[in-house]
Amino acid sequence: MEIISEVLQLFLHPENFLAIALGVVIGVVVGSIPGLTATMAVALALPFTFSMEPIAAILLLVGIYKGGMYGGSITAILIRTPGSPASACTLLDGYPMAQQGHAKKALKMALYSSVIADFISNIALIFFAAYLAKIALNFGAPEFFWLICFSLTIIISLASGSMIKGLLAALLGILLSLVGLDEVFGSQRLTFGNYNLMDSISFIPLLIGLFAIPEIVEFYRKKALPHIKAKASGASVTLSEMKRSLKTIVRGSLIGVIIGAIPGTGATAAAFISYSDARRRSPRRDNFGKGEVEGVAASEAGNNGVAGATMIPLLSLGIPGDVITAIILGAFMVHGLTPGPLLFQENLPLIYALFMGIMFSSLVLLVVGNGAIKYFSLIADIPKEILFPIVLMFCVYGAYAVNNDTFDVWLMLGFGVLGYVFNRAAIPAAPFLIGFILGPMFEDNLRRSLLIGGNDLSIFVRGPIAWFFIALTLGSILLALYRYVTARRLPTQTDTSQEAP
Amino acid sequence: MSTPVHKRGGPIRDPGDVLAGVVLLIASAILLFHLIPNYIGEPPILQNPMMSPRWLPRIVGWLLLGFSALLIVQGLLVDNTDKEDGRRIEKGPRRRFALMVVALLVYVTLFEALGAVISGILATLILFVAHPVRTWWVYGLAIVFPVVVTFLFVKVMNVPLPVMPF
Repeated sequence: MEIISEVLQLFLHPENFLAIALGVVIGVVVGSIPGLTATMAVALALPFTFSMEPIAAILLLVGIYKGGMYGGSITAILIRTPGSPASACTLLDGYPMAQQGHAKKALKMALYSSVIADFISNIALIFFAAYLAKIALNFGAPEFFWLICFSLTIIISLASGSMIKGLLAALLGILLSLVGLDEVFGSQRLTFGNYNLMDSISFIPLLIGLFAIPEIVEFYRKKALPHIKAKASGASVTLSEMKRSLKTIVRGSLIGVIIGAIPGTGATAAAFISYSDARRRSPRRDNFGKGEVEGVAASEAGNNGVAGATMIPLLSLGIPGDVITAIILGAFMVHGLTPGPLLFQENLPLIYALFMGIMFSSLVLLVVGNGAIKYFSLIADIPKEILFPIVLMFCVYGAYAVNNDTFDVWLMLGFGVLGYVFNRAAIPAAPFLIGFILGPMFEDNLRRSLLIGGNDLSIFVRGPIAWFFIALTLGSILLALYRYVTARRLPTQTDTSQEAP
Repeated sequence: MSTPVHKRGGPIRDPGDVLAGVVLLIASAILLFHLIPNYIGEPPILQNPMMSPRWLPRIVGWLLLGFSALLIVQGLLVDNTDKEDGRRIEKGPRRRFALMVVALLVYVTLFEALGAVISGILATLILFVAHPVRTWWVYGLAIVFPVVVTFLFVKVMNVPLPVMPF
């Protein structure tokens, strides 16, 4: 009884409701503007949370995340430009529907399937996070060491694009995370005598630099494209269409939950798997890709089903599942909280209050999405040449606010250049960020294991939990190699078949 | 004007990958043979070399070296230039890009001297000119936005910023 009143006391605070509502609105708005991503919005909102209570701060970021996931589908449907990579699948049927005059139907179906998937995903988070955290209480330093090894290898093996580039990005992230004073011996590591680097590289300038600045640089580097007008018109979703799509939505949501709970897989894969599964099972499979409402439902359910589930490894193990949860992990740290099993033991009311807020965000998404559907076309019409100077302003002010020092603005620009180079060289930025976050955890658990075991390396294979994670790590390396070999083989086969008469 | 597309058949299948690999190879060699020995202090007595502050950076350095060599090999043997991986862009006028760089420099060099509002107005005006924005009233937004955003940071969210130079 005492814990319930404590949870309600923490949650029933006007600031929390305002944070969720504001977060969802920002997320939907940003997501519906091509070129601005939910990741960028979450990164830019992080400095705003400094003065907020931890729950409100995290709920604001979660709200942006969820709103952004749905917002990305708006431009995919209206102007064939996905607001996020995960929405790329939605345009397959959403855009043909808009062309046929059914934009509103597609947008409503995207909204309803997003909300249902989000709700299912949140339920999964509530059930599995606590359970996983309970198991993780049995982990010691060697088990966490292998868990981090597994997380790093699975993220790299499942990262989109070249595996070698993903590995290089993760290694660079780990390397930069080591800059600063060594925690055990206090010796300086790659600080070059600069006192700004003694406390390691600031997370927020890195984040803003890596995910917001490259978009701005690229916009001014590229040839200006003509602005496409969007229009959300037509009839809404009928009850029979909703009934017809319900099974697809539930299946897509479950696919999203399973994929989201595995670090590194992400919403894009979930959307495409859910879509192909729906097409395979649907009696109207011939209409997929030509403007089938079930197709929109499947892809949106897949990508939104991931949203709550990616928080499972974050909250229970302290391992971020994707880039946005990595930023949310940063928000926890800014507020002096460390996600993981101990958080469940020491701060259970906070966790439950967060769960309540996350559940509430689904409802807010439904209300915001329904109420603002006619304004979406207006949002998508804001020209980028007006938006990007404002985004840059937020970047600079946000980076400066961390330590009230222009060094952080320079740092942000440096990482912005690095992010731009990454884009040009097709090196993924996500493994870099995950490497930056997991690097210190990796080293810390390695050293603690050595200290516990008295420098005896057998501590790393001390029990079944460690063996389990070793097997998973080896499995993910084999998976990466398999993906690499098959990716190499496929184009060769295609070439051969093309050359054949 | 767009980035050149190299067709397969030449000695290098993917020049972009080879270039990225060479840059990373050089960087990792500098890290391993210059930065780690000179810029990472090591305690005189260590019970286990794995406890050393140099151990993980060294491992990362060697892995970087190995994988960048692999990237070079991949660039020499495999053609990835046809992939839609975002590497190829249609470049715009240089003036547009140069003005964007100037706006960035205005922020980093004048932010503390002129304050958030004035440097924000200056940089936003430069970015509007860079595109260029042809609707005259939009330039008024270059004054409104920095004032509103600064107000949002300083007064609403209590995040301190140098508002004005005085």
